[in-house]
Amino acid sequence: MPPLPSSPSLSQTLSMDDSTGSLPSNDALSVYNLTNPKPLWLNDAYAKHIVKGNFMTLSARPKTVEQGEWIAHQVVEHYRNLWNFVRVIHDKDENGTSICNSQTCPRMSAGAYVYNSQDFPHDLILYYSNHSFTWLNSRKEPVEVPAHEYISLMQRWISGKIDNTAIFPTDPAGVSFAYNTSNPDIASATYASGGLDTPGSNTPIPAGPTALTASLSQLAGPGDWIGKSSGFPVDFVEVCQTIFRQMFRVYAHLYWAHFIDPFFHLSLEKPMNSCFSHFVLTATEIDMLKPHELEPMQPLIDLWAANGTFPKESKAYACANLQAGKRLIALSGVNQ
Amino acid sequence: MDSNNNGNRFYLNLNNDRPAFPDRAYPTTPSTFPNPIFSNQAQSGGQGQAQGSQQQQQPYSTGFAPSGYFMNNPYPPSYPQQPPASNYQGVQAPQASFQQRPAPTNPNDATNGLVHQFSHQNLGGRASPYGGVRQPSPSQRPRTAGATGQQAGYGNYLNAPMPAAPHQKNLPEFQPAPERNPDKYGPLAQTNQKRCSTLAESFFKDSVKRARDRNVRQSEMEQRLADPNQSQARREQTWSNAGKQEGKYLRFLRTKDSPDNYQTIKIIGKGAFGEVKLVQKKQDAKVYAMKSLIKHEMFKKDQLAHVRAERDILTESDSPWIVKLYTTFQDADFLYMLMEFLPGGDLMTMLIKYEIFSEDITRFYIAEIVLAIDAVHKYGFIHRDIKPDNILLDRGGHVKLTDFGLSTGFHKLHDSSYYQQLLQGKSTRPTNRNSVNLDQINLTVSNRSVINDWRKSRRVMAYSTVGTPDYIAPEIFSGHGYGQDCDWWSLGTIMFECQVGWPPFCAEDAHDTYRKIVNWRQSLYFPEDIQLGPEAENLIRSLVCNTEQRLGRGGAEEIKAHQFFRGVNFDTLRHIRAPFEPKLSSNVDTAYFPTDEIDQTDNATRMAAESGNQPRHEAPELSLPFIGYTFKRFDTFNNNR
Repeated sequence: MPPLPSSPSLSQTLSMDDSTGSLPSNDALSVYNLTNPKPLWLNDAYAKHIVKGNFMTLSARPKTVEQGEWIAHQVVEHYRNLWNFVRVIHDKDENGTSICNSQTCPRMSAGAYVYNSQDFPHDLILYYSNHSFTWLNSRKEPVEVPAHEYISLMQRWISGKIDNTAIFPTDPAGVSFAYNTSNPDIASATYASGGLDTPGSNTPIPAGPTALTASLSQLAGPGDWIGKSSGFPVDFVEVCQTIFRQMFRVYAHLYWAHFIDPFFHLSLEKPMNSCFSHFVLTATEIDMLKPHELEPMQPLIDLWAANGTFPKESKAYACANLQAGKRLIALSGVNQ
Repeated sequence: MDSNNNGNRFYLNLNNDRPAFPDRAYPTTPSTFPNPIFSNQAQSGGQGQAQGSQQQQQPYSTGFAPSGYFMNNPYPPSYPQQPPASNYQGVQAPQASFQQRPAPTNPNDATNGLVHQFSHQNLGGRASPYGGVRQPSPSQRPRTAGATGQQAGYGNYLNAPMPAAPHQKNLPEFQPAPERNPDKYGPLAQTNQKRCSTLAESFFKDSVKRARDRNVRQSEMEQRLADPNQSQARREQTWSNAGKQEGKYLRFLRTKDSPDNYQTIKIIGKGAFGEVKLVQKKQDAKVYAMKSLIKHEMFKKDQLAHVRAERDILTESDSPWIVKLYTTFQDADFLYMLMEFLPGGDLMTMLIKYEIFSEDITRFYIAEIVLAIDAVHKYGFIHRDIKPDNILLDRGGHVKLTDFGLSTGFHKLHDSSYYQQLLQGKSTRPTNRNSVNLDQINLTVSNRSVINDWRKSRRVMAYSTVGTPDYIAPEIFSGHGYGQDCDWWSLGTIMFECQVGWPPFCAEDAHDTYRKIVNWRQSLYFPEDIQLGPEAENLIRSLVCNTEQRLGRGGAEEIKAHQFFRGVNFDTLRHIRAPFEPKLSSNVDTAYFPTDEIDQTDNATRMAAESGNQPRHEAPELSLPFIGYTFKRFDTFNNNR
């Protein structure tokens, strides 16, 4: 990827623009190199929702609920939501054809982004490289996979995780709770006793979670991992982050390749906007997606930050380029 | 994709990168303007999108003009053709999405030039789309700027606010929205469309309700924590219990329930559309009543709206007067409703057993039913099918309402044409049948044998698809609309039955009953040999009457204030001892259910036998109506229930 050009003089102009609160500049958008005309879903008029109000109330972890339990809940909820939309393009009719097929979408693309077999979760790559499937070339190098197939593989992989009670335990007896951080006495007392209702407490304790954001690791104590007390495995957060990343890619494909055909034609764009914005809000809030992983959908995230979909206190809002969002709104007004 | 680079790109974009800035600002004449967007105009601009054609240059330049930035514009006019962004073009090239357009660099395209000039002529009127968003440009824009005006405009340019780049205005900023054409897809897509929108809607509806309830629980807990009299240990207990309770609920939410998780103890009710079983959850041995409804039957008999209505009221309500629904789930053949088990049976069974109640006992039940109906109304629902079969008795003998549009009375309650048909149609009764015609005689004690026949067939009637119309208000048949007060009519007929021994419009078949109800003025008759207190008769007559005169039309308080209830303390009613308390040997005692009259072969077994144990796949017409049906109540795991 070539480095971005930058111009100090231009940034000065931008800051002035900010301070005067005047019209957001066009080039806030230019970094995205959006094609012209821009995708319909970046038009504010088509970025609307079926729900109003602060989505944060649905994403924020209740204080007493153990973090792993909350993440598990969100994974399942968003997976159900996403597959609700995926089925529209993915289900095969009686002739065996689906709206998303190898002709319409020979690649798993989202605008400029194309996901290939290398983008599969690690265990899926391992599994398939041992079974020489068609999408691995003769040298077992990553190859591009039709979107339909990519999505099928991902569905199988994700439901394989969610339905595995060793990863997503369901026994109510194994449930734990969050330490009361506002009450240090309680926090230390419960923490010291350790292993409360932990079915998996005989699992060896790892050095600590890798690849976790600071906020997540803080929630687990030293030598512990998110969800340990509730019986979630060591790699639970990692699995969930991969699931969220894959779900994001599928959403990105829905927007870039299928927003009009079929979602707009079927009047499903508002439900999809609501589910996806809720998805982004949740995924960022509970650190399942990192800001840079949002990139293919960044302009829409900017737009939603600017049009009030994302509350100011949310992490999704912090991820957004407000100037770009305001710019999209200004342009959308023209199109009305 | 290099993720580091992505990260950089993202963050850069927050700060200083303005790569394509100049091309947005630089004004050019039509003939020299090389903007790539232009060719898009030829492709997709134009038709009906004129007002959407404003180009981004315009707002941008107007917004920035006052800064004087353009005077120092270091970029040559040709810059737009090689914006730095074109570096990305290489990356995007393989992308086949519809967004991808070649970046045209042909400024000499004659068509474009013409279109451009044309659009330029109309420039003056185009400022308004910006509305209040920005101001300076329109008035200052050289209105005469036509093909020849460009040079002049350009000459002024250095001293004047930036003229909006007019030549781009036929270009849509965004892909034009096509006319929606859902019919271009096949039936599968139509089914998926409905499923998808219903599910998304109920996802948010359910999620919001859950979040709201959770917040209530949270603040209740915080109140308990704030109590200074609580010990530290107690507070820890409060906190951890709350967390575990919430966690169990979340686990419950993400777990798919199935009938296999429950052990059937006994079938306690059976109807044309399903059955009610007393079940025990295998995991924790808790006892529930599980209603299973046959999807196919409900679809055939057009009961879908009722299924939904019942689900909605039971999920929204949280009242001691309404039977509690814990969860709903489904498989290919059945809908399942897991409800609290009320061991006292129902009022119908009581009436079959005792025939009549004393006035005191009647007063107790009718007063409780008043409160129960009022609770339903306060949730914004009309029950429409209040009858003794739907009035259940809990462990303490107190009343709870059930069957909201379902269960035994599966007729299409709000489809008046259904009733019209029944009213106009021929009686289904064989004319040569050797029986007393209840229509033509008044019921007296001498007709008790007839009444006993009616009573015997009552349970059969209750379980049939037709159900009994005995308690339904006449305005429901008329098709001219009805209000909450139709439930007060039903109350009146039940009270009549409690005191007299049969419902006021009882007849040998449903058709005759309908006619009697519609002609209630003639057919309402109090048998002379049964002594009713004057207040009791007055209350019945105030309820079983025209909707205009009906007591309760102005709210339940009207009924509570009636002389018949003198001395009744409605506020404490549920806490006093009921006149009849079920005597139970265990928590799975079904003594108050006529289980020996009910075939104990369950529907799943029967249907599996009929289909030869072939695997069943869900037909789309059966899956669609039940979308969003699934529900899970928080206190399913509440140990205190």
